[in-house]
Amino acid sequence: MLQDFLTPQKSNFKDYTELRAHVNTTRNVAMVAGNMVNNAQSAIGGVSARVYKGGTFGFASGAEYSADSVKNVLAAATDNALFMDKRVNKGNPPLPSLGNHAEKLRTAPGPAIEQSLMIDFTKSLDEYIVNKYKNLSSRTVSTGCLDIEKLLVVSDGTNNHLFQPRATAFVQMTADTPDGVPVSLYEVVSRFGRFDEIFTDPAKLHSLLDSLYESLMKKREGVFANAGLKKCVMHPKLAGMLAHEAVGHTVEADIVLGGSVAADNLNKQVASELVTMVDFAHTALGETCPLPVYVDDEGVLAEDAMLIENGILKGFMHSRDTARHFNAKPQGNARAFAFSDEPLIRMRNTAILPGKSKLDDMIKSIDDGYYLVSTGNGQADTTGEFMFSIEEGYEIKNGKLGAAIRETTISGVAFEMLKTVDMLSDDMHWECGGFCGKKQPMTVGMGGPAIRCDVNIGGR
Amino acid sequence: MAEITSIAEYAMDELKKAGAQKAACTVSQSKTDELNIEAGKFSLMRTLFSDNLHMKALVDGKKGTISVNKLDKASINEAVADTIALAKSGTADAAEDIAPLAENKQFDQTIGGANMDKLFSRTKDFVDQTTDEFPKIILGECSSQFSNTNFVHVNSNGVNFSNSLEYYHMSSMFSAKDGTESTSFYGYGTIMNSLNTPFIDVGLQRTLLEEAVNSIKTRMVEGKFVGKVIVTPTCADMLWGTVMGCFLSEYSLISGTSRWKDSLGEKVADKQLTFSAIAHNPDIVLGEKITGDGFESQNFDFIKDGILQSYGLSLYGANKTGKPRSLNSSGSWAIAPGETSLADMIKSVDKGIIIGRFSGASPGPSGDVSGVAKNSFLIENGKVTDALGETMISFNVFDVIQEIVAISKERVVDGYSLMPWCCVDGVTVSGK
Repeated sequence: MLQDFLTPQKSNFKDYTELRAHVNTTRNVAMVAGNMVNNAQSAIGGVSARVYKGGTFGFASGAEYSADSVKNVLAAATDNALFMDKRVNKGNPPLPSLGNHAEKLRTAPGPAIEQSLMIDFTKSLDEYIVNKYKNLSSRTVSTGCLDIEKLLVVSDGTNNHLFQPRATAFVQMTADTPDGVPVSLYEVVSRFGRFDEIFTDPAKLHSLLDSLYESLMKKREGVFANAGLKKCVMHPKLAGMLAHEAVGHTVEADIVLGGSVAADNLNKQVASELVTMVDFAHTALGETCPLPVYVDDEGVLAEDAMLIENGILKGFMHSRDTARHFNAKPQGNARAFAFSDEPLIRMRNTAILPGKSKLDDMIKSIDDGYYLVSTGNGQADTTGEFMFSIEEGYEIKNGKLGAAIRETTISGVAFEMLKTVDMLSDDMHWECGGFCGKKQPMTVGMGGPAIRCDVNIGGR
Repeated sequence: MAEITSIAEYAMDELKKAGAQKAACTVSQSKTDELNIEAGKFSLMRTLFSDNLHMKALVDGKKGTISVNKLDKASINEAVADTIALAKSGTADAAEDIAPLAENKQFDQTIGGANMDKLFSRTKDFVDQTTDEFPKIILGECSSQFSNTNFVHVNSNGVNFSNSLEYYHMSSMFSAKDGTESTSFYGYGTIMNSLNTPFIDVGLQRTLLEEAVNSIKTRMVEGKFVGKVIVTPTCADMLWGTVMGCFLSEYSLISGTSRWKDSLGEKVADKQLTFSAIAHNPDIVLGEKITGDGFESQNFDFIKDGILQSYGLSLYGANKTGKPRSLNSSGSWAIAPGETSLADMIKSVDKGIIIGRFSGASPGPSGDVSGVAKNSFLIENGKVTDALGETMISFNVFDVIQEIVAISKERVVDGYSLMPWCCVDGVTVSGK
């Protein structure tokens, strides 16, 4: 656990200052076609300081973490703040005060897990796949964990000690189509918690692997989607990506200042009245979120950010600096991924809230369209135009599922597409695998129900 | 440099004492100074002091690798013990190895240290010039930096390489806005060994600012058509990154999913295509000197005149697949220039698009590519006409590079790569 070399420096703070000790520990095992290509660990950490002076920040970081190195990093950050203030001379007043508080460590780091546990788990899944499925041309199995520990001392706000573990298992299967073209499908299971608490028995994932194989066998016989604007049902697994990519990025206040379409739409109808979307801090619908955030890296106590309420755009996500610019309240969205990263405005657990429909009824309601089941990557734009990949999907013909489709992409303009949402299922699915990319990577949670809407689908 | 060399040698000795039959260590120390701009205004200066130690140990043919960023003896000793424990817990694989002893060298790619005052003034000039010349441009996240790194790689076969390197880097993200209409975001990055050229005049920076202003009003493709696409250098990764990921990468070869796994020496693309990985070239600012696994880097061709010459394989990948190791591990790629001018290339397209950025899915092993054409313009009857909005494209990269329509004479130099414009056919372009 991180020792506190930070608090003794607080008496030396002159301007608004953050000091953060931070270590990211990873363990990874990967098997490709039965070969163990990765058996690795890393522990990357250190200390950083950020100082605000007159409207700009100075930041510095160093790998060494000791009483002396904290002093050195604080001095370097202060020098950088002075360098900028002298040349830029914005003349801004100090950031508004939030008072002084302290947050306790909620999840304590336990003893390091044995790498052999992950190796055995990975091998077990690989053996299950090899022994059971005969029509595969390749497979990849990997397991990993990322433990983030942070100690934060701020001149104004809430001091914090955070431990945030995430464990992940990934399986990809590849098979050849009848004309010899390889196609793949993958599944990621990721949860908040230690690997040995989340993945207690490989057999618990066997039914998931069976489903993945069954879907891949359909995909290898799949057809190309018919390109154009289509009526679609998105599985709940896609709703989080929609919330994150289509809307979430456009309402991050730094993106708003950079020209996002959301700037002109505050308090306007941007979605169907069915759509309510929230960036949850730590608790959603009575349960702990996939990646709970209680205090951000600017020492702001985290609370939920209402983004869209009954179709109306209600607010943006902020840092302390942008909150002042927009005369809004900071809600704990400023987060840094590594010790050497400064806090940026990031989503936490972004979700569209469930509706009242049943998934089966939603599929039955479509004469000619698509059921989109799983996605890989996604991207957003300042215009609100989003895209995300479709790894698994099916045609819907006369209310019934038809042929599987080959991988494709869907796109749309968020504030137009969301107005076409006319059914939301009454269930909810959360995802927290992968990373959001925005200068730095970041762990995020995303969730939502099944959605019926019009979306542009790529294809032939 | 002497300090990190002794750290690397100490770590190597400790790994051997702890039971590694073969081992490799890389130690680096760096300092980066960076100026940041948000929404067209200076927002942050940051200084990063970085230390890194990466170790690989083989025990009875079993590998363990570890990365830490502490270089004191106690931390190294702990990391050595962890590396050996990792290796012992692994699986024996005869393909695991380290580089053999070759001529050890010390490289120097320094440029005389940082001039932070000039970096600040170049950055300020970029903001001011952009604001003055392109009032409809909104600068988003931009940064400029100077970085210095000292690096040592040693292994238990006696390999000992070192390198000192320095560079300047500038990146910009921006869009254009007029009233409530705005463009997609544009991004551009360059790496430089001096501050002699104003940032706005480096590479394609000014061209992209002009294009952004010209693409505020967009037109949607009606229905869909199959036509030609001119891929600009800023979008080159859509083609060549996909080729690398799907057909040439170590993962695609070891997993057996590459459609070119048995095609070495065979024609895999149009004869106009020569695709190289370049370690040494005057236009590449930080050419790779040492591969990730400890060999001196050399230039090589993946594809020459359409014939597959090499894959992107490390020593492990080469041993595993029985195919040749690639001679550098850099991402500095070059496509050989063609014989057609960009102007003639555009004139030759009756109906198609010119694409500046691609927002799409990570392609699967089939090579199917699908996504949104960003920062793109329609070409009709040999002329670039309207900027495009909400336009999707899809194609199969394995298929479209079999018959490349043309590769431009012109190439863009951005310090990272040497990329021409490339025209391919058979792409489905669709609107709503």
